[in-house]
Amino acid sequence: MYETDKEIPMSRKNSKSVAATLTTATCALLGTTSTTPVNAQEEDEWELDTALLYYNEDGNRVQDISFKMLANRNFVDDRVLSLSLGVDSLTGATPIGAIPFAGPQTFTSPSGNQVRTTPPGEIPLDPSFLDTRVALTANWQQPLGRLSSFNAGLSASSEYDYLHLGANFKLSRDFNKRNTTVSMGLAFAADELDPVGGAPMPLTPMLDVDDLSNRMGNQNKDVMDVVLGVSQIINQNLIMQFNYSFSSSDGYLNDPYKIVSLVDPVTGDPVPRIPSPGVDGPSHEYRFESRPGERTKHSLFGQAKYYMNGKVLDASYRYMTDDWDIDSHTVDVRFRWPIGDRSYLEPHFRYYTQTHANFYRTSLDSSLPLPSYASADYRLGEFDAITLGLKYGWKTESGNEWSARLEAYSADGSVPANLLIGSNQGGLEMYPDLDAIIAQFSYSFGW
Amino acid sequence: MGSPCEVLLETDSESSAAAVAGSVSTEAWRIEDKFSRYLPDNIVHRINNSGGAPVEVDDETANLIDFAATLYEMSDGRFDITSGVLREAWNFDGSDNVPADSEVDRILERVGWSRVKWNRPELILAAGMQIDLGGIAKEYAVDKAASEAAAETDDACLVNFGGDLVATKAPTRSKGWQVGIDALDQAQGLPQKLIRLQNGGLATSGDARRFLLKDGIRYGHILDPTTGWPVQNAPRSITVAADTCTQAGMLATLAMLEGKGAETFLADQDCKYWCYR
Amino acid sequence: MKKLNTVASALLVVGLAGLGGCSSMGVEPWERDIMAKEEMQLTADPLEAAIDDHIYFSKEASSGGRGFGGGGCGCN
Repeated sequence: MYETDKEIPMSRKNSKSVAATLTTATCALLGTTSTTPVNAQEEDEWELDTALLYYNEDGNRVQDISFKMLANRNFVDDRVLSLSLGVDSLTGATPIGAIPFAGPQTFTSPSGNQVRTTPPGEIPLDPSFLDTRVALTANWQQPLGRLSSFNAGLSASSEYDYLHLGANFKLSRDFNKRNTTVSMGLAFAADELDPVGGAPMPLTPMLDVDDLSNRMGNQNKDVMDVVLGVSQIINQNLIMQFNYSFSSSDGYLNDPYKIVSLVDPVTGDPVPRIPSPGVDGPSHEYRFESRPGERTKHSLFGQAKYYMNGKVLDASYRYMTDDWDIDSHTVDVRFRWPIGDRSYLEPHFRYYTQTHANFYRTSLDSSLPLPSYASADYRLGEFDAITLGLKYGWKTESGNEWSARLEAYSADGSVPANLLIGSNQGGLEMYPDLDAIIAQFSYSFGW
Repeated sequence: MGSPCEVLLETDSESSAAAVAGSVSTEAWRIEDKFSRYLPDNIVHRINNSGGAPVEVDDETANLIDFAATLYEMSDGRFDITSGVLREAWNFDGSDNVPADSEVDRILERVGWSRVKWNRPELILAAGMQIDLGGIAKEYAVDKAASEAAAETDDACLVNFGGDLVATKAPTRSKGWQVGIDALDQAQGLPQKLIRLQNGGLATSGDARRFLLKDGIRYGHILDPTTGWPVQNAPRSITVAADTCTQAGMLATLAMLEGKGAETFLADQDCKYWCYR
Repeated sequence: MKKLNTVASALLVVGLAGLGGCSSMGVEPWERDIMAKEEMQLTADPLEAAIDDHIYFSKEASSGGRGFGGGGCGCN
């Protein structure tokens, strides 16, 4: 019978030398002189990816420094928990939509507290914000039976004037010896805007300092996205993916800080304005932009990844069309070139082109009635953009990975002749071209 | 070996795979045939039926016996290759058939390495006593088979005999050999833990399948030869990583024999281990 | 609207044709060593993809395509 109190005495005198004695004895038994030390590690429970990003636009425009982290916890039965955190610190200025002019222009700030003047000939920028944005996401992946899986996620982000809440779901199923995967996803977002000074009523004038009579309360924007996708392994070296996406936005889709210049039909110069007596205000007539309250987008996306004896070519194409009459094409190519066992070089090329929205106007003719919708936001204009980048990555002995990338983004717009008004606009920079640097440093490790 | 045996080889060459599989299985069968206590005409059979007469053994057998003797010293008598006869009293079939004290004591008369006269190469085993190399031979076979494989090829190779394994080299095309430690709850079918092995040995000692259960007390199958009873408070499962499979296996067994002190023992040895209670 | 109908039909044709041909394409389960490599995953670096998606969402009128399309910020 077991005597529950009986203690088996431990050989304290030689417990530490057991391993050494055992090693000697084993070498004698196996007839070896030495062996490579064992290398065994527990599989990490968490995989963490971190990145530090620096984004800077030429001409004192937007600058962003951000830190992002993605954490994945893998469970033995293929369940995965993903958590991400991002913190962005934005500073700088962005074009407000007014056209440049031979003379100075004065604008009321978004808060309505003060005015700012743009020197002659320069593209008017709003040098307002110092903004910090925090974004969080959580995602759960759950296998359903052997061939299917289910994803559910939540997202939230907060800035001083914008709050986002979202949920997403995805269902996937494998077919054909798992060579084919079909998936369907759904995402919902409920965003709330609380612009500085209050959202302006669309198409109303930019008013004098402290005049917030055309401002409204909080605004809402709802977005629904549907993605249908299929991925297919073509052969041992080639995999492809095709997606169709549908997106529907509803609510306040305007940029509350953007305006359109009212110009003289003959000269094309901004129409001057005199502020109320004793008060500062805009020097010319500007109207707050107005976009439709709905937007429907369709996208087709195709991607191929091809393995060529160690090198990987990743090429994708996306076509987007929407009911604002914007059509875009995106071509994205990456080529990963391994260097030795542990590092790689990856050049990157991206080409993007879009047509302008049907309500895109660089300026408005003051002699005509205002259209229902008008926006001079350069992001709704017609432009081509090219990204050229290079990334270098290397893996440490313990399997952690570092990478650094440097990219240059350059967007070059064009304004169709029929959008120009009057005689003076031809010589001006009506579209604010963009040149930006993207620098990122990443570190991935297990924990 | 009493368990499924496999060799994993990272190669594109079918002929290389056949050659390695051939040399590994040949070595495995050779060791099994030579040291199995179930076969009627090998060295172990001759020793166990010598009736007290001296038996002269070959070098390989002598090496194993020397090794067993060292382990006997290291464990203060708890690792004992003459303890096999206790299986006459203990049959770990999951039932509640726990033997009586008197039965165990009777068999203990025939247990004890100190009763054996070992003067290499001559072994004298008293009548009624038996040696069983089962506690060493499997891990030994893994290491020997792996060295046969390493002689045959430069490619990364892993030899696995029923969960006792050794990897000669890290695979080049993946991040290491992925080894799962069986969960204590077999129903799930999923491993308890995943280990990435680059090179070296892994061995597991445990009672997952062989045990007795009576009056709510679980009796694991590792017997303490000094008492004739299963080790008290032994962990349910111990997996150890060491330079060779033999070392890993012996460390796991020695740790089991420490019962309550298994984790402390393993921590003192400065090796990687996974211990479940 | 007419444009969207054309897009939708084209998509349906491509999709069905694709799926029809899919049943014979592919590799055996033991031939997936290359597909299993980290660098061959469709989104090999999800963090970088998210960063890029966000940058381009703020500067262009299109978003997403690969998965759910960025968004959720006051930058567009």
